Parts: sequence; structure tokens; C-alpha cells
Amino acid sequence: MTTATEATERAGPTSKAARRHPIRDLVIKRSLIGILTLVLVSILIFAATQTLPGNAASAVLLNTATPQRLHALEVQLGLTRPAVDQYWTWLVGVLHGNFGKSLANGQPVSTLIGGRILNSLVLVVLAGAIGTLIGVGLGVLAAARRDSVFDHVLSVVALAVTALPEFVVAVVLVIFFAAVVIHWFPAVSVFAPGTPPWSNPRELVLPVATLVIVVVPYVFRMMRASMIDALESDYVQMAQLKGVPKWRILLFHALPNAIAPTIQVIGLTFLYLAGGVVVVEYLFNYPGLGQALVGAVSDRDIPQIQAIVLVLAAFYIAVNILTDVIALAVSPRRRLPRS
Amino acid sequence: MTFSRREFLKAGLAGSLAVGGGGLLSACGTGDTIKAFTTSTAGKPRYGGTLRAGLTGGSTADTLDPVSAITNVDFSRIDNLYEPLIGLTPDAQPVYVLAEEVTPNAKATEWTIRVKQGITFHNGKTLTADDVIYTFQQILNPKTPGSAAAGLASIDLKGMTKLDAYTARIPCSTPFATLAEALAIPGYSDIIPVGYDLSAPAGTGPFKVKSFSPGTQSTFVRYDGYWQPGLPYLDEIVITDYSDQTSQVNALLAGQVDVVNLLSADVISEVQGEGKNILLSAGGGWNPFTMRVDTGTFSDVRIRQAMRLVVDRQQMLDLVFGGFGTVGNDLFGIWAPEYDHSLPQRHQDLDQARFLLKAAGAEDLRVTLVTSDIAQGTVLAAQVFAQQASGAGVTVNVDDVTVDEFYGTNYLKWQFAQDYWFYNFYLPQVSLATLPTASFNETHWDNSRYNSLYAQAIATTDTSLRTELAHEMQQLEYNEGGYIIPFFPPVIDGFGTNVGGLVPSKSGLSLGAYDFKNVWLS
Repeated sequence: MTTATEATERAGPTSKAARRHPIRDLVIKRSLIGILTLVLVSILIFAATQTLPGNAASAVLLNTATPQRLHALEVQLGLTRPAVDQYWTWLVGVLHGNFGKSLANGQPVSTLIGGRILNSLVLVVLAGAIGTLIGVGLGVLAAARRDSVFDHVLSVVALAVTALPEFVVAVVLVIFFAAVVIHWFPAVSVFAPGTPPWSNPRELVLPVATLVIVVVPYVFRMMRASMIDALESDYVQMAQLKGVPKWRILLFHALPNAIAPTIQVIGLTFLYLAGGVVVVEYLFNYPGLGQALVGAVSDRDIPQIQAIVLVLAAFYIAVNILTDVIALAVSPRRRLPRS
Repeated sequence: MTFSRREFLKAGLAGSLAVGGGGLLSACGTGDTIKAFTTSTAGKPRYGGTLRAGLTGGSTADTLDPVSAITNVDFSRIDNLYEPLIGLTPDAQPVYVLAEEVTPNAKATEWTIRVKQGITFHNGKTLTADDVIYTFQQILNPKTPGSAAAGLASIDLKGMTKLDAYTARIPCSTPFATLAEALAIPGYSDIIPVGYDLSAPAGTGPFKVKSFSPGTQSTFVRYDGYWQPGLPYLDEIVITDYSDQTSQVNALLAGQVDVVNLLSADVISEVQGEGKNILLSAGGGWNPFTMRVDTGTFSDVRIRQAMRLVVDRQQMLDLVFGGFGTVGNDLFGIWAPEYDHSLPQRHQDLDQARFLLKAAGAEDLRVTLVTSDIAQGTVLAAQVFAQQASGAGVTVNVDDVTVDEFYGTNYLKWQFAQDYWFYNFYLPQVSLATLPTASFNETHWDNSRYNSLYAQAIATTDTSLRTELAHEMQQLEYNEGGYIIPFFPPVIDGFGTNVGGLVPSKSGLSLGAYDFKNVWLS
């Protein structure tokens, strides 16, 4: 919520150019900070994996880890080299577009996670888009019929769903729609590696539905609240007095002014989804990034952990920037410096 | 007495053929309850179809390389791609697979291995003695020792010779009467062709690899040139990795997969309630508690015996595996011919435990038990142990570490920890675990009488003499050893009503040791 205003304040009054191109300046500045953040994140993750006991060699060898085998594999994987040296090699590789090879199976990390990035992105975008549309729509309707039975029921249900963690939602959906009561949809999302997720739309239904159910209440509550604010404003009363039809007031007078705070919540929703897919992917066995991350952590596969975390962090940064840009674009007065 | 050994192996072969032909149900140690679990409604064998397996336990570290395979789920692929010289029947008895004859000389210092003729690898190469020699060279390569290297260490690599196209002579640097048994352990000694290339893996098994994405999915297709007549039944196998039992069971119930592995006992009623089947196997795998006998608290034999006496074995099985599985007697190799069933079953005896602890001056004993989620139920078993030990006034601090820390540099050095093993024959298991030269001597057991008994046993081809020697060794372990072996865990798998030909295996591996060549879909 605060990011947009803060960013505007910072980016706003610095120069004449800033006043003329606040959005461009914001994008440039925040991108540079973003890259720095990514480097820091990679250092942090690398340091964290180094402090843990055990390593990829023992994770691979398990109960066949005799000292000799352990040492042979550690040497083979380059784990006996100094940590700084390992990090530097990795960083140089990344700057050349090479994310290294998996410690667990020697395959290039890019081929291991490339398809998974797409799978997760489809899940996040679908759930985010559908959740946003439903949340905004319901929020507008509830605000328009404020204090009606419809409004009260929606608000209570939204509150109740907010209290449910995603794994409960997922389990309930699976019991009802897949495994026990009716067998409409697959209980797990399995598709052959290499096939895009949209070629198996049925497999997407329950994971997307789970995420939609989890995110809709947040968008709905924010939208309802800001819509009510807008509907109580002077310009709406003016429009009503002038006899503008109610649907026009809602869509053309109130909604554009109410959407700005909701955009921040939608942005947060996408950020939440990037993390929330981990649980959902795990439960539905959906071959996405989150599932790969869980596996990579238990394998202590540092190059894969690094690559996935960087992708997630980059997504966070990109969504943050995008949210602020949209928030600026839809509220012209924020683009002006506050003097 | 070379003859008797041969007969022994031949008898095993006959058993295997019966199983291969008819899908015979093996009689299991725990009896009738288990048979009730394995009734299949799939009717007579039928050709064709794709078996969809949903398996847990995989990761991106999975491999198709039989030389370095380790995990239960690795074997699901490897056991169908490759074949060993000697395999295990569902009853855990050795049986010739690729070998036609495996015979030692009188002193057990040299073995002659002859392979069957007319067997081809997936790449078209004919199986010969060269492939046997090549495989041993790969397993025992000192730079990249394979998973089976420790168990086959007695083989003299340089002395191996080819007698004719199908016969190899394998000399041993020390007497090694149990080579045949060591070769029979599932998945560890599969034969690969000379010049084996992991990027195009070729074995002699019933299925060829079509695709393999570690930790995700792999597909296998029928090998039309397979040497066993009429097998396999299936056209294709799709193995999908599952990270979690919940999604795995959901997939089975929703009909998205035909077979699932490594279930816990608490989902049995759910699976059966939804009309699916459970395959329950009395596994010979064992998940011991390991006490170091050489230093620290457990160097006092009275304390070790007290720790063995605090365990209520049946209660532990009830709590960890829903009462399935077999109660253990602190001895391994339960299906081995040398296993000593005459030693009295050890029961919980808290008074005796207190008495021993007092005698050892350790009434208020506090110990740390290092556990990890290394196999099904290990952490829970550790907690149950701590609870039971408190009955004798012993405080057990359960230290739950990550799997990679458990098997990291402290592995084989922990004072008091756990481990898991698949089934192995008695003497080969000793060579891995309870000799000073053993690679995995986690209890640091080094008993001179025991060592000399082993040296005698490994040097004789007389099975009855060997059994006698092995019984005395087990007596020593029973009275002084560092292992607590409270149970042999059950193996619980699930399968759909359309699946036929699954037979419980005593090996400790899932789904009939993943023997999919005998499986059909109705």
C-alpha cells in the first residue's frame, strides 16, 4: 500500500525530467535497485546453504555415503573448493547466461526449470486474473448494495475463507470434486514434461480454483471498502442528483477512483501467489517452480535453489514495479509532485 | 559341497519360474492377514496397456545408472530396464536370472559365472561374459565406486578372465563363499553392456527407456526382444514422481494412477474404502537403532542390553506401522537360511533394564538419539523409543536432523542414531555392517571371536557348517551387539482393481520389488 506513494515522493521532485517522465524514472530507478536486490538475495541464499550441515553429496548418497564415496562425490561436484570461489564461479556463469548444472543430476539448471517457470506462471497468471476479476466484480456489487443480505453474506463468507489456509481449501476441493464425492476433475495435475499446461486444461481446474478461492476475499474486501468511499463522495452524489444511471455511476464515476488502492492489493495478491503456489503445487503434484524448489532444498542442489529463488525474486520486483506504474497511471494526481 | 550350493540355487530358479508363469502368491511370514490384502480382481493375464505408477521417494537426484542407484524409487526404473545375474524370488530366495551357472571352487576363492545364451541388450548387443567383467569393473572402479562396491570388495578386479564367450572366471582376493548371495540383492549388481552409455541406457530388462526426467516423470516401453517367453504383458509404463502421500493417494482414488508405493498404514482404510487394493508385503528391510559399542555411554554392554530391553516391539509396530510388519529380535537377515529363529524373542522388561542400568551406574541415563526422515516411520519410531525408555528412567533426547546432515560427515560416527537397510542375506550383511573392515559399521562392532567365525564361514561352501557358524555369530550379536532391531517394517502399496500380477516381495522394495514384467491390466 505504501510503496506507490513513497516511490512517488522519492521519484517526484528530484529534477525537471522527473516531473515530465515520472513513470520512466520510476522504472529505471527501481530496476537498478532490483538488480542490486537480486545480487544480495543470491549472496544471502548462497551463504544460507553454506551454513547448513550436510551437502548435496550426502543428500545424493544417503546410506551409501561411506567417507570414500562422500569425498569422491564432493570433489566431483566441486564442493571442496572455498565457498567464495564457488560463489564467484556461479556468478560469472550467471552473467554469461549460464545458471550452472544441477548438483543432483548434472543436467543444466536452465533445462530443469525452464518448463517449470512456464507452468507456474500459467498458474499464477490464471489464478491472479480470475481472482482479480471475481474480487473486483463482487466488491463493486457488494458496495452498490451495501448492507443488503447479499452484501452481508458475501462479507461473512469472505471473512471465513480468509481464515482458511490454502491446503485446507485444496483438500476440500479434492474431496468434493475429484477423489471421493464426484469425479469431475483430476485430483492431481500430471502432465508429461515438455507439454504446455494449457494443453491439459482439466488438470488446471482445481489448482487454479484453490488459489482463486484464497485470493478473492482480499481483493473483494479492499474493492468493497474503497468503492463505498467513492460512492459516498461528492462527485457521486452530484452525478446521482443529475440523474446519471446507476450502472454508469458505478462503472464510470466511482470505479476509476476506487481502483487505485485495489491495484496495490492486486499486486500483493500476485506476490502472494508466487509464494502460495508452492503449497498448491505440492498438494496437486503440479510440476512447477515451487515443487522444484522443495525438491532442490532437500537435495541441497545449490545451483537449482539459486536459480529458482532468483526467478521468484525477479518476479517480486517486476510485480512491485508494475503495480506502482499502474497505480501511477490510473491516478493522475499522484504523478504531480507534492509541493 | 559345491554341489549342494548349486542345488540350492537351482531350487530357487524353479520357484521363480512358477512365479513368472502364474503370478503365484507367496506365503508370507505374517500369514493370512496379508493374503487378504492382495486379492486382485483383474482376472487372467492380458497383453497391452499402459501402467501408470505414482511413486514417492524420487528426486532430481534419481538416476538410471544401475551402478550408482540408491533409493527405493530408483529401483522402480532400474529393475525393469536391467537384470542381474542372480535375482530374488518374492520369497527372498536367490534365483538365476541372466546367469546359467554361478559356482565357486572348493575354497570359495574363485567363482565361475556362465550367462545364458541368446539374450540381447536394448542396443542389440548379445549378452556375453565380457559384459559381466565390464559390469564388475564399473561397480568396483576405485575412482567412482558403485553402490554395490562395498559388498563385492573381495573380487580381484585384475584377475578376472573370460573362459569362453559366455563364461567368466572371477577370482577373489579373500575367500568369498557368498558372492552369489551378494549378487542377488535387488538392483545392486545389474549387468550393463560393454561401453555402457548412460545417455542411451541399455539393459536386458523387459522394458526400454523412452523418456526420463528425474524427479518428474519417466516412460518405458515394452522391449520386443525380451528373452523370457511371453513377457512382459504391458506395452508401456509411465512413472510419475509424487512429493507427497496425500496427492499420491488422491491420484489413486481418482483413477489417475494404477499403482502407488510406500503408503503409511493410516491410509489403508481410506484406500480400501474407496474400492482400491492394498498390497501388503512383509519386508525384510530393517530400520535399526545404532549404538556405538567402542566409545561413550554404549561401550558398556549392560547399557546396550538395557536399551534393547526397554523396547516394547509390538507397541512400536502398532504405533508406527499400524500393527503391520514383523517383530524383530535385534538380528538382521530375517529371511536368510542362517537366521537363528531359536534365540528367544526379546520382550520389554523394564525391571531388568533398570537393574542393568543400576549395575552400570547409569540410573539417570540421558542420551541423545539422532534421527531423521530417512525412511518411513524413522522419526516416529525414535519418539516412541524415547517414550518407552522413560519407563526405565532413561531420558532420550530426540535430535531430528535433515537427511543430508544425517548422511553427512557424521554418518557412521553418530553415538546413537538410526539407519535403514533393504533385505540382505546374513553373511553379506555382516560384511557390510558388523566387521571392522565393513564400510557401514555404524555400531563400530569389532569382536575378535565374531570376526574369526565370519572368516571361517566366508571360506566354506558347506552350507550347514556355515549356518552353524552364523548361529554363533548371531548369539554374540544377540548378547552384546550394538543394534536394536525392534521390527522389520511392512511395505504398503496401493493398486487399482484393474491391475493383476502384483506379488508381495520380501525384499523390502515396493510393489513386488517393482517386477512389472509380470503385471497386466484388465
